[in-house]
Amino acid sequence: MSTASIIVALITFVLGALLALLTIPVLVWLERRTAGLVQDRLGPNRTNILGFRLGGVVQSFADVVKLLLKEEYYPNHIKMGRWLFMLAPIITFSAALLAFMVIPFADTIIIDGEALRMQPLPLEYGVFWYLAIGAIGVIGVIFGGWLSHNKYSLLGAMRGASMVISYELALGLAIISFILTYNTVDFNAMVQWQSNTFFSFLPAWGILIQPLASIVLIIALFAEINRNPFSVAEGESEIVAGFMTEYSAMKFAMYFMGEYVAMNTASAVIITMVFGGYQLPWVSTQMLLDNFSYFAYALIIIVPVFVGWMIRFMKRNNRVRSSVSHDGGREFETKVLSLVLIFMAIVIDTILLYLALVPNALATQIAVSLLQIMIFVVKLMAFNMFFILIRWTLPRFRYDQIQTIGWYYLLPLSLFNLFITALVVVGVNQ
Amino acid sequence: MKQNIITTPRHGDNFKDKLFLPAIYEGCKVTFKHFFTNLNDSNAVDTLEYPEEQPRDITNRYRGLHRLTHRPDDTIACVACFMCATACPSECIFIQATQREDNVDEKMPLSFAIDTLECVFCGYCVEACPCDAIRMDTGIFSLTGIKREDFVLNKEQLLSHKGAFGEEISCARD
Repeated sequence: MSTASIIVALITFVLGALLALLTIPVLVWLERRTAGLVQDRLGPNRTNILGFRLGGVVQSFADVVKLLLKEEYYPNHIKMGRWLFMLAPIITFSAALLAFMVIPFADTIIIDGEALRMQPLPLEYGVFWYLAIGAIGVIGVIFGGWLSHNKYSLLGAMRGASMVISYELALGLAIISFILTYNTVDFNAMVQWQSNTFFSFLPAWGILIQPLASIVLIIALFAEINRNPFSVAEGESEIVAGFMTEYSAMKFAMYFMGEYVAMNTASAVIITMVFGGYQLPWVSTQMLLDNFSYFAYALIIIVPVFVGWMIRFMKRNNRVRSSVSHDGGREFETKVLSLVLIFMAIVIDTILLYLALVPNALATQIAVSLLQIMIFVVKLMAFNMFFILIRWTLPRFRYDQIQTIGWYYLLPLSLFNLFITALVVVGVNQ
Repeated sequence: MKQNIITTPRHGDNFKDKLFLPAIYEGCKVTFKHFFTNLNDSNAVDTLEYPEEQPRDITNRYRGLHRLTHRPDDTIACVACFMCATACPSECIFIQATQREDNVDEKMPLSFAIDTLECVFCGYCVEACPCDAIRMDTGIFSLTGIKREDFVLNKEQLLSHKGAFGEEISCARD
């Protein structure tokens, strides 16, 4: 093992952990603010540290502190299987976290002739890992519901179990269509395949090559992560909080966080399989490496424009109404954040300009990787936003309706799609 | 009989509805529109930024916190007749009567306390009062405290409240 490989392994691991764990508070905040804005409210925007509200994201960290400091309450009526009761949320959380770890954040980086994968777990069979680990999450739900000795919990867990049998087949068949198309089970190779073009001008993204399988995959993943419109395992109007009714404090937080990590994982899988992963459309990694100076010049223009837009947005929205006399430090916050953004833009521009003017193979490779990670994060957050907005758009399906959708619509659709895909793949290869 | 039968149109039987996706698209159009409009100008969202912005829609019939009114000579209007305490459905008014020494009237309350944690703000005490001595026209809608005792308002506190609407002094004897 060379030093470079150890450094890359460490960096990818830290990055994977950060992307999975640090996005939880951000996602919770996004969810609440989005819900507010969709419903013509504002959402949490008051919590601050020394006047810094950051749009209210501090609220999520306050919530984490609250959940950590809460009394560790254990329901008295649970006599047997206490350890399993504690283990259940951990299963859900760690399954979601582990499934995220096979997503490539950037293309394989080659340092000194050594190919280093930008995945926290550098596996070549990522799809199988994701399918295996991702399906375990629901076991935590079922354990939790069963061991709670509570009718609501049990009903929630049963609904969760009924969900599994409705979507798993369609999900698996949709993924098999993708495996046939890309001819690989490696997430990174899938992304590389998607940097091609077809019909000589369309990017070969999954959504364009396999539209049917993409839709089935997205719907099935909505079901897998227990999210609206398929969030039947909990139903506040009929079964309280479903399987997590008896859970409190950090045990509840594990389920709660697991839900968001799972959402993050599902977004990552969708963008990796369907939306070209860390790639820009039409731009392969080799093209990025060969023409990095052009991309650097483009970025030098884009970054200040983006920062200017951010500052304008803050100036317009991070202020109080004219009817309110004092602004609670918002103007000061806008000023400081604007200065930080401008400083960051200058630093990034300087580095990019240096890289564009003084070509250096290693530095270019690292810069390309960073750029791909940035693209990945942007796509990831965009798809998370999609998940959140869908949640606040649609009502819940009944669990038998989900089974109907899964067995009567998604399964025949994905089988049909698999059949066509197989025919086309065989036809093209001959 | 036949003309009494109304056939309600059923939705969801045609192909477009069974596809679900067009309906989801329609729904997303609405939510996305709200989201981006509000994101673009969050100050235009029609909410009250409460502690800084106070409600502007409190009418003069609003039943706020209670107050004890004064006579024209600035003494207490209450004659400790216990009408309000009798009318009170939540039994939160506690009055101790005493002899009035200043020859304005015969009786006055020695203490007059309202437990606002018990109070349901029904306004029966105001209706029952023969002397227009208790009113709920202060327009005060929030009372905060850090212990339960803070919410039991005594005579001095009730007398210090100012009326927000209408007459400041008791109208009973004019």
